[in-house]
Amino acid sequence: MRTILKLTATLHEDLVQRLRVPHDFAGERVAFLKCRPALSATSLLLLAGGVHHVEDEDYVDDPSAGATVGRSGLRKALQAAYREAVSMVHVHLHEHRGRPRFSRTDLRENALFVPDFWNVQPSLPHGAVVFSFNSAVGQCWIPGRSSPSSVEVAIVGSPMRCTWKVTNG
Amino acid sequence: MGDKLNLQRQSFLGADSEIVLGRSKAALVGIGGGGSHIAQQLAHIGLGSFLPIDPDFIEDTNLNRLVGATMEDVKLGIAKVDIAERVIKAVNPAAEVIKRRANWTEVTSELRDVDIIFACVDSISCRSELEGFARRFLIPLIDIGMDVQESSGEFSISGQVMLSMPGKPCMRCMGLVNDEALAKEAARYGVAGAKPQVVWPNGTLASIAVGFFMKLVTPWETRKETPLLLEYDGDAQTVAQSYKLAYLPACCKHFDSLNELGDPFWTPDALAIVE
Repeated sequence: MRTILKLTATLHEDLVQRLRVPHDFAGERVAFLKCRPALSATSLLLLAGGVHHVEDEDYVDDPSAGATVGRSGLRKALQAAYREAVSMVHVHLHEHRGRPRFSRTDLRENALFVPDFWNVQPSLPHGAVVFSFNSAVGQCWIPGRSSPSSVEVAIVGSPMRCTWKVTNG
Repeated sequence: MGDKLNLQRQSFLGADSEIVLGRSKAALVGIGGGGSHIAQQLAHIGLGSFLPIDPDFIEDTNLNRLVGATMEDVKLGIAKVDIAERVIKAVNPAAEVIKRRANWTEVTSELRDVDIIFACVDSISCRSELEGFARRFLIPLIDIGMDVQESSGEFSISGQVMLSMPGKPCMRCMGLVNDEALAKEAARYGVAGAKPQVVWPNGTLASIAVGFFMKLVTPWETRKETPLLLEYDGDAQTVAQSYKLAYLPACCKHFDSLNELGDPFWTPDALAIVE
């Protein structure tokens, strides 16, 4: 089974624009895509319909990481997941072209905080995705499974961009 | 020469175009006068996967416009999806064709998997419902429609091709679907006679629809944006951007809620069925 995150090009453009706004001290910004899940004949679909942005004051000054979200920021994200009954997909941007990779820190932190969303939405899948300017990779935690599955990303717009359909995706 | 489609003459579509097309999947909802043209053209351009959906069998009245159908098919009562499969496979034997002789509402699980839906349906209500489905699963939909109207003792041919892109204006935004038209159609239900249909307007509209699709998946230039709605004047033999485009909102107000996304009856238990 494939896991696919789908978002409109409009949402993607807005997201990237916001992620690129410099922060006073954090090296990068992060956000959460609010998604609703669905099953197709072959795939788990995460359909993004909005963004929960991490507010400026919710970053912690932590030179060891590009962006560290403080307790209050995580609490707000958890509240959004609970209130809106959504799957949450943590996103950040690596400012280059080509297929991005999660850093070791990303992988370690993803495994720690993404499953936390099961405390408020236990039946929904949650995940983390890193975008580059023209590609993306991700991980998804599915209820009932201990290890994450990989996520493909489809940006629905003109042009259509699907990470699994191009040689450098 | 093997069974592999040689796409050398369309390599200008991009270095990855053959791969992208080969990994793309289109649903054709309605394999009649319009859908049969689209199926044939998508086979020629090297689309990898097809999901043709139509509950009907060929009839003699379809032969004036259904591309690939023969008199023999009529005598044997062949399903339209079987004819589509034959046409596609004759051009590209490597293409995957998952045909469904059914209404689209019966195959929604498979329909969620496609990259694009070509809507080649007759009624406004069906258009509207199919667009609602496509928006829910973030699938672009290309709709084609033609009409022949009688006026003052003469006939007039018209039609349109519309791209319904998630996040962008929808059929309601463009006035193709509205409550009045739906009510009128509902009132006529069961009494309408066979609609006039001919092959060449269908071919024109289908070709434009395929052009819309190609611009989405293998854009060969980026200077000109594909208009969301083109109108066909079959009498003047012209195609032009709709005047409605000037009045459209930037985004759609009819499908802008998180609640209109995804599976309304989501349960993780269903994951076991997919695997």
